[in-house]
Amino acid sequence: MPSKTEGFHAIRSKILHIAKSSMTKYVLRRLLYLIPLFFGILIIVFVATRMAGDPVKLMTGLNPRITAEARERLTQYYGLDQPLYYQFLKFVWEMLQGNLGNSYAIRGGTPVTTLVGDYAWETFKLQLTALSFSLLIAIPIGILSARKQYSKLDMTVTTTSLVGTCIPIFYMGIVAILIFSYFLGWFPYGAAHSLDPSRYPFGSYIMDELWHLFLPAVVLTFAELAPVVLLVRSSMLEVLRQDYILAARASGLSERTVIYKHALRNALIPVVTYVGLYFGGMLAGAPITEKVFNWPGVGRLYVEAIGKLDFPVITGITVFVTLMVLFANLITDIAYAYIDPRIRIE
Amino acid sequence: MAPKEILKIENLTTYFYTWAGVVKAVDGVSLDVREGETLGLVGESGSGKSVTALSILRIVPRPGKIIDGKIIYKGENLLAKTENEMQQIRGKEIAYISQDPATSLNPVFSIADQLTEVIRRHQNVTKEEALKKAIELFRLVEIADPEIKIWNYPHQLSGGMKQRIAIARALSCQPSLLLADEPTTNLDVTIQAQILELMKNLKKKLGMSMILITHDMGVVAGVADRINVMYAGRVCEVASTKTIFRNPLHPYTRALLEAVPNVAMKREKLKIIPGAIPNLISPPSGCRFHPRCDFAVAECASVVPPLVEIEPEHYVACIRAKEFMENGKGVKK
Ligand SMILES: Nc1ncnc2c1ncn2[C@@H]1O[C@H](COP(=O)(O)OP(=O)(O)OP(=O)(O)O)[C@@H](O)[C@H]1O
Ligand SMILES: [Mg+2]
Repeated sequence: MPSKTEGFHAIRSKILHIAKSSMTKYVLRRLLYLIPLFFGILIIVFVATRMAGDPVKLMTGLNPRITAEARERLTQYYGLDQPLYYQFLKFVWEMLQGNLGNSYAIRGGTPVTTLVGDYAWETFKLQLTALSFSLLIAIPIGILSARKQYSKLDMTVTTTSLVGTCIPIFYMGIVAILIFSYFLGWFPYGAAHSLDPSRYPFGSYIMDELWHLFLPAVVLTFAELAPVVLLVRSSMLEVLRQDYILAARASGLSERTVIYKHALRNALIPVVTYVGLYFGGMLAGAPITEKVFNWPGVGRLYVEAIGKLDFPVITGITVFVTLMVLFANLITDIAYAYIDPRIRIE
Repeated sequence: MAPKEILKIENLTTYFYTWAGVVKAVDGVSLDVREGETLGLVGESGSGKSVTALSILRIVPRPGKIIDGKIIYKGENLLAKTENEMQQIRGKEIAYISQDPATSLNPVFSIADQLTEVIRRHQNVTKEEALKKAIELFRLVEIADPEIKIWNYPHQLSGGMKQRIAIARALSCQPSLLLADEPTTNLDVTIQAQILELMKNLKKKLGMSMILITHDMGVVAGVADRINVMYAGRVCEVASTKTIFRNPLHPYTRALLEAVPNVAMKREKLKIIPGAIPNLISPPSGCRFHPRCDFAVAECASVVPPLVEIEPEHYVACIRAKEFMENGKGVKK
């Protein structure tokens, strides 16, 4: 007969194993569910853009000498004369091979994959920097504020955050550019790089990137900070009222364990939801921020492509953003399951 | 020889400083718990029972504050201790079981985690030893398959099971005093009886003292040695369980007893206490019970009745207590 501890360890490892495989199943199930969702979104956007107008008319509208025959040829060239379902299937077939087509308008038909790749990187760089910093700053402040509810510190934090959420980002951005670029001349007015390598600070490309990144990242961080602080604070207050926090205190656990283990894990659940949802909008590129800082990101590219009825770019960005949003969703779901065991096991 | 007290509370005063005003939740409460006994702390909802228990552990939540009094535990005043010293006492010397088993365990950590954490906080043991101890505790509170159940999360367990686990956690470091705040209120009647029986046995086995908080006279009858009746933040009556049931003197205690359903009661109507517990921001003057009391006289509104020993070991805070004592139930108006 095995000793008690041996039996115990066997059971423990068995249960850990089951927990792990149930997690795998959970992830697979989520993935399977995302596939039809992806195609659903794709169909809607594909049809909607193609009903928005005729790009050939838009391209040739200002050219008085264009013939009807030339128009016809262009339409044929872009495949716009084909029935919609055929266009869609062709698009999907090529997409599966990693080809998203070529732009109608940009630099003589740049491949959409190249465009999206370049612009998405800039968006990622800016948004992820801002998101990371805002979370790093907001979570401790929110916790502190909740722990000292109604204190002077809490009042200050709450008021500042409320004011912060009310200031539109374009306003904050323009003011920042005005002060730090125009009057003080410390930072560039916009864009992500200096065009001329001789202008790189200390002759370093990395420094140039950081120099351009600084102002928009700070403004975005502040814009994102306020709502997260308020969310963490209210979520933490809710959790601190719970019986299990009282019970943890009553067991003599240190204040640090009570707050950072017992309370925080629960308080983070709504924060994960928020960040997950936010992530979607963020990858669509927050067009306003990108416009204000003249930032070469996906948001700006999207707006420009819509203005020109540049179908492949519009659809390409849609594919990209949808994939990213779905991916963010998946990550959120996994984070949930990790934080909250009630979700993990049906 | 007077019995030895493990806990002696003098003039405990705990207020909540809310926007609406100062809530005088516990207002000059004195009580004592003797070694090895179970003291029943009884009173309607809102009478300050929980706040008294939380004050003993000094974990009254904001905006509550203990503003006066002494809490003498084993000869030392807990109110004079530092937060660090208190952390050593909580869970180890004085343990607490909260009102609702459904919410007293953290939903996102396994039971094993939550039990070993407390064991390791107060005892110098390794993770494996703590786990073994936790499983032993599961046996103590009579949970089947402890090796499996311990890896569960709270949502996978029934209410009765969760309360057993809460009890196990409270007992994990063999406390000398257990504060059980309505440990059975939120459970089914059959489970209630099981849990009470279990607690009674464990108390005997471990030689603890216990404060059992409840608003149910039926619960204390079977478990408590002495009863302390509270109303609106003050103590009305203290006596042995037998005395309280046979010869209750405070009109509030009487009303509470008449409100208990009873098989022997035949056709007699179950009485309810008219009115509700007063607002503790501006409580009634004098005796706090007087607006609801059938026996109130003019003086009750102006004089705060002191808690006096009306017969040996029987304390009552009512200016007419002596009359009740002499005339039994014959006193009118
Ligand atoms: N966090 C708080 N803020 C303000 N007032 C509070 C707070 N906690 C308790 N109180 C007040 O203290 C008084 C006593 O509450 P307590 O919880 O001790 O009652 P109780 O006797 O335990 O009642 P129950 O049987 O409902 O548990 C109540 O009037 C309540 O309103
Ligand atoms: Mg209570």
